[in-house]
Amino acid sequence: MAVVDRIEQLEELWLERPGVLGWLTTVDHKRIGILYFWTTILFFAAGGVEALLMRTQLAQADERVVSPETYDQLMTMHGVTMIFFFIIPMTTGAFGNYLVPLLIGARDMAFPRLNALSFWIFLGSGVFMYSSFLIGQVPNAGWFDYVPLALRQYNGGLNIDFYALGLIFNGVASTIGALNLIVTIFKLRAPGMSWNRMPLFCFALLAASLSLVFALPALTADCIFLELQRKLGFHFFDVAHGGDPLLWQHLFWIFGHPEVYIIVLPAFGIATSIIPTFARRRMVAFPLVAMAELLVAFIGFGVWAHHMFATGISTATLVFFAAASMMVVIPSTIQIYAWLMTVNLGTPDFRAPLMFIGGFIVFFVIGGLSGIMFAAVPFDQATTDTYFVVAHFHFIIFGAAVFPLLGGIYYWFPKVTGRMYDERLARWSFWLTFVGTSLTFFPMHIVGLLGMTRRVYTYRSGLGWDAYNLIETIGGFVLAAGLLLIASNIARSLRVGAPAGRDPFHGGTLEWTVPSPPPHYNFAVIPTVTSAYPNWDERDREEDLRRLERGDLVLDEAHETPATTVNDAQLSEILEMPPESPWPIVLALAVTIASFFLLTSHYATATFFLALAVLTLAGWHVQEPVEA
Amino acid sequence: MTTATLPVRVARPKGWWGAVVFVATEATLFGTLIGTYIYLRLHNAHWPPPHVPKPPLLTPTLLTVALVLTSIPLHVASRAAGDGRRESAWRATTASFVVQLVYIVWQLHDYVHTIDVYDPRQSAWSSIFVTLLGADHLHVLVGVLLSAWFVLRISSRLTRYRIVGLQSTVFYWHAVNVITLVVLVVQASTHL
Repeated sequence: MAVVDRIEQLEELWLERPGVLGWLTTVDHKRIGILYFWTTILFFAAGGVEALLMRTQLAQADERVVSPETYDQLMTMHGVTMIFFFIIPMTTGAFGNYLVPLLIGARDMAFPRLNALSFWIFLGSGVFMYSSFLIGQVPNAGWFDYVPLALRQYNGGLNIDFYALGLIFNGVASTIGALNLIVTIFKLRAPGMSWNRMPLFCFALLAASLSLVFALPALTADCIFLELQRKLGFHFFDVAHGGDPLLWQHLFWIFGHPEVYIIVLPAFGIATSIIPTFARRRMVAFPLVAMAELLVAFIGFGVWAHHMFATGISTATLVFFAAASMMVVIPSTIQIYAWLMTVNLGTPDFRAPLMFIGGFIVFFVIGGLSGIMFAAVPFDQATTDTYFVVAHFHFIIFGAAVFPLLGGIYYWFPKVTGRMYDERLARWSFWLTFVGTSLTFFPMHIVGLLGMTRRVYTYRSGLGWDAYNLIETIGGFVLAAGLLLIASNIARSLRVGAPAGRDPFHGGTLEWTVPSPPPHYNFAVIPTVTSAYPNWDERDREEDLRRLERGDLVLDEAHETPATTVNDAQLSEILEMPPESPWPIVLALAVTIASFFLLTSHYATATFFLALAVLTLAGWHVQEPVEA
Repeated sequence: MTTATLPVRVARPKGWWGAVVFVATEATLFGTLIGTYIYLRLHNAHWPPPHVPKPPLLTPTLLTVALVLTSIPLHVASRAAGDGRRESAWRATTASFVVQLVYIVWQLHDYVHTIDVYDPRQSAWSSIFVTLLGADHLHVLVGVLLSAWFVLRISSRLTRYRIVGLQSTVFYWHAVNVITLVVLVVQASTHL
């Protein structure tokens, strides 16, 4: 069979339904990644508007832009949105979904229908959470939702119920997504891609996914306890009946601290993708960086109580958690030096993606240094609940987590769309966002040390905070302008960008071996891999072409992708992949409806819809992949 | 290369790995619940509170032993399905299913009574006890539904999809049996 016929055959096998229906029933990891991308961008915009409203309120002393009640809601939803509805789904859902199969040489994720389910449940939980605005009962106890403030006696509306139920279902979506990424990385790597040849991006996603799987149950249990107490009168958090309010904090931060690394690890992964491409050399200390990524995730589980240094826990506990928190420095620094040395030893070409990584390293070092300061217990106790904390974590979760995402958007834009972005505008957008971020968050260190407490809706004049706050607000709008410039660059380049071709940056990983945008089947022939940078192994890629002619591992007879062994990635079997399916969206719809009935305490109706969701699984599994 | 030239299977299937990760999250959930139980226990002088009868042990122990023993026929079913022996796989699955069904019906019946005696609105002790027990029963119930599904599905034909599904379910059941045993130990700890 000629190559053209083989490719035509693959096209036919992997083509999905056209039109809207195709998007609703899709199981293609690339389409699901794109759905994730645009949905999370919308949530990012919502979270950004909430932030700007807060900054406008805080621009001057004694402002009356929003009421104190509204401010609490904006503050809570800003945190909840950015963490649960923007960064996690953007990194694992959009970047992870779209890129991991392409980077490891697979034709889809390990469980394509589960992948779709993860997106639709995520979307449902977002719609659920944001519908709280419609009835004006928006979550209002902070993203950390501390009890007793969040208990029914002090917070009688549905506000907190939206929060708790929304996060339970959001957690289900994240867990499913993480499970899928883990199994995909374990089983679907191209033949030859043993662990030591797997791209560092995938190590980062693996570390983040493992953290999600082990961290989310604590949050889920916490939210279940809270709902049982709020709705059914159980006792977990009230001292009068033998409960303990600190239980909420422990469980929340057992999830919440690993969460920080879940947020930044994919960003590290993006940095380790962009740096070698533009420095034109392999990553320095490749195995050390891989291990450091996994180590960050692991240590992240032993440091949660450093969020609770001011709660009166015992000194022995304080010392343990302070020491553990110090340890995070080691794997973080390994990575920082590896990134810097790679740039230093290479021949760097400072195009927009690499500039964003440069900004990321600067912010990560600043945020990391203020982070080490918090590991010193007395300093932490003195600055707890001040703006110094806000400054620190925004340098980490905006500077260190979002900057690589912005660089990654530019870096993979040509791959996803087949068109180039505008480099000149992209550089401008870098400087705007860089200056904006610095102006917004750096003065917060100073007002924090001057005594300004966080989570306040206004402040008095004459405390020496006014100028800093005004600068922060101006910085916020500069940052917003930079982000809008990125959005307009994308919107414009989608229409008029120059054709990008297969490999505009001469990247090292497998996604650059396929056309842009990638075909439905990703790879015409499943690549074999002999190094961590397979696109730089020209002889291997020429061999791929010969194998395509011979039909060796083309798999053009059925809807298939190969599976390999976990450690050495030796070919072990050919998997029949399922066709597109309506069941994931139906199941997610039933779950979302059930969450509304749980919210309004209609338990019988909620159970009915949950049972319906279970029933849809029967329809799901009757539709088996066709065996060749 | 065609699939025919490949060895049938030299490694665990992806479905099995999926079950492993799923079980990891569920085990962590139970770790959190039991951790909460211990945490609250350390914050209470009386556990359970005075005047509350200690939870019964005889029936739960007998039921749990019966449930845990189903791991044996389930293992047989998994092996048989892997070898393509459909009928023995079906028989072993069905035998396990019957025991599991008896277990869950009995336990849910007793659970209604438990909620009555140990009203979770009374104390932190009854709250976490009822929650832990309920979470365990829910996981058994999911397993029973899965068993029922495979009793139906492999009554007629084995496919690769069903074999992997059955094997993953068996793995889930082994984990649930261990969890049930641990929950029983927590229940028994009140008698120490």
